Amino acid sequence: MRPGGKVRRQARREPRLVLPTILRPRAGDFLLIGEEEMLKRDTGRAGKRALSAAVLLLLPLLAACASLTLGRYSLSPGELLSALTGTGNDPQARTVLMNIRLPRVVLALLVGGGLSAAGTAFQSLFANPLATPDTLGVASGASLGAALGLLLGFGLAAVQVLALAGGVLAVALTWLVSAGPQRRSIVTMVLAGLIMSSLFSALISLVKYVADPESQLPSITYWLMGSLSSADWGSLALGAPFLLGGTAVLLALRWRLNILPLSEDEAKATGVNLLALRTAVILAATMITAACVSMCGQVGWVGLLIPHICRMVFGGNNQRLVPASVCVGAAFLVIVDTLARTMTAAEVPISILTAIIGAPVFVALLRRTGGWSL
Amino acid sequence: MKFEVRNGCFAYREGARQILNGVSFALEPGELTAVLGPNGAGKTTLLRCMTGLLPWRSGASLIDGEDIRAMRRAALWRRLAYVPQARGTASALRVKEMVLLGRSGRLSALSQPSREDARKAGEAIERLGLEGLRGRLCSQLSGGELQMVLIARALAAEPEMLVLDEPESNLDFKNQLIILETLSDLAAKGMTCVFNTHYPSHALQRAHRSLLLGRDGSWRFGASDSVITEKSIASAFGVRAVIGEIETPHNIYRDILPVSLLTMELDTPAEPVREETDMETRIAIIGIIVEDREAAERINELLHEFGEYVVGRMGMPYPPKNVSIISVIVDAPEDVISALSGRLGMLRGVSIKTTYSKR
Repeated sequence: MRPGGKVRRQARREPRLVLPTILRPRAGDFLLIGEEEMLKRDTGRAGKRALSAAVLLLLPLLAACASLTLGRYSLSPGELLSALTGTGNDPQARTVLMNIRLPRVVLALLVGGGLSAAGTAFQSLFANPLATPDTLGVASGASLGAALGLLLGFGLAAVQVLALAGGVLAVALTWLVSAGPQRRSIVTMVLAGLIMSSLFSALISLVKYVADPESQLPSITYWLMGSLSSADWGSLALGAPFLLGGTAVLLALRWRLNILPLSEDEAKATGVNLLALRTAVILAATMITAACVSMCGQVGWVGLLIPHICRMVFGGNNQRLVPASVCVGAAFLVIVDTLARTMTAAEVPISILTAIIGAPVFVALLRRTGGWSL
Repeated sequence: MKFEVRNGCFAYREGARQILNGVSFALEPGELTAVLGPNGAGKTTLLRCMTGLLPWRSGASLIDGEDIRAMRRAALWRRLAYVPQARGTASALRVKEMVLLGRSGRLSALSQPSREDARKAGEAIERLGLEGLRGRLCSQLSGGELQMVLIARALAAEPEMLVLDEPESNLDFKNQLIILETLSDLAAKGMTCVFNTHYPSHALQRAHRSLLLGRDGSWRFGASDSVITEKSIASAFGVRAVIGEIETPHNIYRDILPVSLLTMELDTPAEPVREETDMETRIAIIGIIVEDREAAERINELLHEFGEYVVGRMGMPYPPKNVSIISVIVDAPEDVISALSGRLGMLRGVSIKTTYSKR
């Protein structure tokens, strides 16, 4: 269309393709105008990307290691290493680490990463920056399941299973309600999710109303506020497979998530099976969120906050955004949970902290970057 | 690839007004086809039905004789690409990322785009001369830029046919021209292109064939010059329009101008105007200057197609300017002559002028 365009482009690109690395012009060499800038930008960008990937991967690891050393029974890095490998001569340190701290840190990593991935996916799916992992009512459903289990005096494992079932049931109901005689639209799904959420919240209130105010009500309320204190290998074994499975599916589909915010016809015309893609995303996010609630109650804010922070920093491409959200979310929840258990003698409910820490960070970023879009 | 619609019918509900009524047409590679009609006539519905985004009530779309409903979705969208109207997007994707999405139909569900896919997307960007936009956010593009990006995204899928929904609506003169030039160019390179348009003049000037939809479910399909006439426009749009020619030193452009309303009521279909066929023929000389060697062959094909009307032809090369000068004499009904000269004028590197006899 523009014959001039092609010629110009080749002239600009050629030096970059032809010159071997050693002959690359250095600063001060005679260069065409703009060439130096381009070389710098190109090498700079690749380097920057590799660096940010490394930082992102190290972030949760470092946070986890730091968290393992902190607490009432504090450990030095050396002690941590010997206790982890079992070479130390302090059996108490090993017990604290392996049975209390490690499962809790692992839980925080998994929940933080999982909820962030689910939030990112739902924001794309609903093309709405306000979507959270709970948009289809999964958290309310799972909470109702858990509250029912606590009301009926079940053991922890049974409560967990009920929570998982409640979450899946809520999303299944949402799915059924939104499938009218017309075709299923994303807006009706959000509305149906809203209805299910309020219905299940009402039922939770009912459970609380009939619960024994001396023994059951406090435990139900505490569960609903969310806490990682009950983490142990048993509950992890039950919940983690769902959580890891869901997160793996979202990571695998991350590039396809970019298609979801497009209009219906546009998305279909890319040749993707849109219904299958939407179903897979909803299933994966539901499994993640239900598993999270089943293990540690409702942890608010992470699924909304982390994807947005990452979006402001890493841009809107889900191919990068999903892994970044998983890493940042995992690190964030480990840090917040560490604060929750070390700040005061009694533990602070984690949802309170995620909001108190998250909101100012969010506002600061918002003001600096001037907002976001999907 | 040969694309065909056979007896396509569509209504939104059982028993509701039949929007598309037994539409049948076939599209050839390298042809640009315009779909015209008043608001609510079903232009977009037609595009959605013919690509399978909306199911026909009855009838079928066929690619090389195969019903598209029998084709696998990914396989279909590898041959066909749909370009939606650019209404502004909330997408925070960058242009190169948006164009890369066009590769989706060629990737398996769980895979990430490869270097090869990125290269193909890059080629699509270069093909439309959008290199400067590569790193820009789609949400910050102008309407014309975004439309070009969406076309690039469609091209990234390496389709054989492009279906565009009002690509030049809401754009200024220059951007309209860029889009139309792009379409003509793609068609000239063998792409089958179909586009919806609100501008009959774009169809007259650019499209080889046109499909005119009426609000009463009527339709006509054929060479643009024979479909878009003052009478057919009056019956489909309820508007009196005149078709005239604007002469420039290089070419004659046919244009259509709406002059007055036939009915004052909004959007009521006008009485269908019966068209009496004009059997009287006239003699005309079409003078042609060919600056592009490739066009010579297309001219021969066209003259063959209109062979029955051609009375005589003369041609001579003029080496100093590297052009050929041809003169064709035809004896044909007026609309046939204007169809022939219109189609000749659409070829690249061809200047023409037609002189008619008085009677």
